[in-house]
Amino acid sequence: MTAERQDTQPLREQIAKNQQTIDRLNRDLARVSNEVRIIQQITREITSTLDLDEVLGIVLRAMERVLGFNHSMILLTNLAADRLRLAASRGYEPSGVGADIALGEGVIGVVASRRKMMRMGNIGASVAYLRSVRARLEAAGEVAPGSNAATLPGLPGAQSQLALPLLVKDRLVGVLAVESPKPTAFDELDEIILGIVGNQAATAIDNARTYQMVENLSRLKRFFSPQLAEAIVTGGTDDPLKTHRREVTVVFLDLRGFTAFAETADPEEVMGVLREYHGEMGKLILAHEGTLERFTGDGMMIFFNDPVLVDDAPERAVRMAVAMRDRVAALTGRWRKRGYDLALGVGIAQGYATIGAIGFEGRWDYGAIGTVTNLAARLCGEAQPGQILLSARVASGVEDLVETEEVGVLALKGFARPVPAFNLLRLKPPA
Amino acid sequence: MATLPEEIKAAMQGVIPSHVVTCARDGTPNATAISQVYYVDPEHVALSHQFFNKTVRNVRENPQALVWVISPQTFDAWDLQLEFDHAETSGLVFDALDMQIEAIASMVGLKGIFKLKSADIYRVVSVTKNVGERIPLPDIVDPGGGR
Repeated sequence: MTAERQDTQPLREQIAKNQQTIDRLNRDLARVSNEVRIIQQITREITSTLDLDEVLGIVLRAMERVLGFNHSMILLTNLAADRLRLAASRGYEPSGVGADIALGEGVIGVVASRRKMMRMGNIGASVAYLRSVRARLEAAGEVAPGSNAATLPGLPGAQSQLALPLLVKDRLVGVLAVESPKPTAFDELDEIILGIVGNQAATAIDNARTYQMVENLSRLKRFFSPQLAEAIVTGGTDDPLKTHRREVTVVFLDLRGFTAFAETADPEEVMGVLREYHGEMGKLILAHEGTLERFTGDGMMIFFNDPVLVDDAPERAVRMAVAMRDRVAALTGRWRKRGYDLALGVGIAQGYATIGAIGFEGRWDYGAIGTVTNLAARLCGEAQPGQILLSARVASGVEDLVETEEVGVLALKGFARPVPAFNLLRLKPPA
Repeated sequence: MATLPEEIKAAMQGVIPSHVVTCARDGTPNATAISQVYYVDPEHVALSHQFFNKTVRNVRENPQALVWVISPQTFDAWDLQLEFDHAETSGLVFDALDMQIEAIASMVGLKGIFKLKSADIYRVVSVTKNVGERIPLPDIVDPGGGR
């Protein structure tokens, strides 16, 4: 080797090294500019719809097809923002949708509580290490044995997770998470890219949720109390418009003498009486948390135990009916002075009904269908002015609460056999 | 002072446990395995301090430390000569470590029990790469790429 070649050797090595660095930077740059293009495309897509499921689908599809993350999920906060519910996932079998986790539990829960992105690798080894710490603590009596470990949705053997909080201003909307069975699947660049997509997704999800909420709210407020409508919309309870079967207590009521009154009185007078009556009955329905199924002139059908589950549906029904009878008695006093002879008749029955949205596009009603509703209607039809007739089932359910008298068996239209009925006299005085 | 190369980050994800050697004031050495050496910036790394142990005690008496990290992709190993600088109980580094520890602790039912006391920040005094002889990688090793 000549002296000259010895001198240039380090220089050549340096040039080769520099070239390697330049190649690496170029590769990174190509990846970044490709991903920036992708992000622009995702942004266009997710801002073009207000359908929440579509937004979630677009984000998760992009995770896989574009960014190469095979396992991704989006969890959304509940109203109280203390829990997360898995709203959509991709790359899981089963999907796990509906699973829920508390803030502060696991990578996703901690990301939500701290509102900071977290990238974690090698989860299996960390968990194994802490299990051994736990065993030592248990042996030393510092921790009670048993497992209070969080159960978390996701890959059973996930080794890497990258999760970021979906924030709109400072408000937590949810968490976007990707995971992998490989111990070091995600790097810093993934963090940056996921962060950009996440910001866009958070806004799009929030807009879609708000839109959906307003839509649902106006739909549900027609049937339910405002509180309940809001609870349903914000995920506090299942969508009651989905058809389901449930045991309910049904109350039918109408005004005796209303047809005759409506035929003879001025229309303005009729509407005035109806408004007064509906207004007063409406207050009592809300107070007892009943569900008003429908008005038909002077008739009303109310049921209990759906969509709000209550364990005292018969009790609520009879208490409401008695309060209504008292209230109508006060109203009829006034109506009588004006020459109208009106009185309340009520029928109450209990049993299983099929409940859900009934109707057609543009005109949906929330309805209950079943023998129980027919029975309540027939009992109402049989009730004398001021009478509240109970089915045998309801009467036995509230025997400690009310005094009743048997009215014998009634032959009712639509019922093959005579039906026993009970007249509700009064509430028993509190013991 | 020394600067950590970019490629060392792969060895700082805790896939292969690292080893740390410290000395007490009287010179008694201590070597132990630790799950992860955290990359802070090109001139600093962090070790998590959950329990008071010999490493934690030693560096507060005698700040010299030596750690050994290994890349799970190439098995390249680095010796890092470190000097304990300070302990942080808040801030970005502390939060990042604390979040990871909280997440894992909740998975084994030790939430609130197994906690980060501090993020111990060390200055990097020297970095030595020990390139081993290349051998075919066994299947258990993550070859990198894809997820």
